[in-house]
Amino acid sequence: MGNVPRIPAGRETPTDGSSPTNPAVPGSPVPPAAVAPAAVSPPGEPDARFTFANERTFLAWIRTALALVAAGLAIVQLLPPFHGIRWGRHAIGIPLILLGAIVAVVSYLEWDANQRALRRGDPPRHSRLPQLLAVIVGLVALAAAVLALISS
Amino acid sequence: MSRAGDSRADDPGLARARTRLAWTRTALSFAAIGAVLLKLDLAAGFVVLALSVLVWAVGRLAGVPGTSARRGRLLVIALAVTAVSAVALALALFGPQTAGLHL
Repeated sequence: MGNVPRIPAGRETPTDGSSPTNPAVPGSPVPPAAVAPAAVSPPGEPDARFTFANERTFLAWIRTALALVAAGLAIVQLLPPFHGIRWGRHAIGIPLILLGAIVAVVSYLEWDANQRALRRGDPPRHSRLPQLLAVIVGLVALAAAVLALISS
Repeated sequence: MSRAGDSRADDPGLARARTRLAWTRTALSFAAIGAVLLKLDLAAGFVVLALSVLVWAVGRLAGVPGTSARRGRLLVIALAVTAVSAVALALALFGPQTAGLHL
């Protein structure tokens, strides 16, 4: 925010002896893209590009969560009822709505854990979300297929 | 906010610009769900539309370094989605039983 002074590009203070030379100098061996992040990351913070990438991953999961909620609600409210099975739409729609809430919370926890890992210089954590999503969406699809078969 | 982030040297890999666009997509997703909810339940629809404005406003701050501030903002978004899910769950369980769309 406002309390972080902006350092002009190309004039960042080297944090260690291995810092590359001024990227603004023509003929520098280091391409500017490789060193410029120092200009946007405050001291003690990870490379701004990693922080941004982590944030975008979180946002992508958030949109996935919203899509799951929308799909679940659409199934319960817009799908014609299954013949003879009154709870059929609820059985496949409500798990998707709940999965949306779980994905939102877990994606925040994973974002936070990854941010800590970045700050410590650790590798990014292995995300559990793809597995969770694959298993539950697979089960819901299976349930939908069974409902469609026995109601016809 | 300065627009200096649009220059390549200030924004390597256009990371900041891409993050801003991701926030815009997320706000649009909220707005789309809010618009659909208006049809089912007016109050719930307006709540989610208000959340989409909140997401958009929070997204305007993207690109500002400082993870402590970022942390609270992202928590707000995660909780907003959880709230949307709770609204959807309430509508699914206690909302009107519809006959569905017969196309």
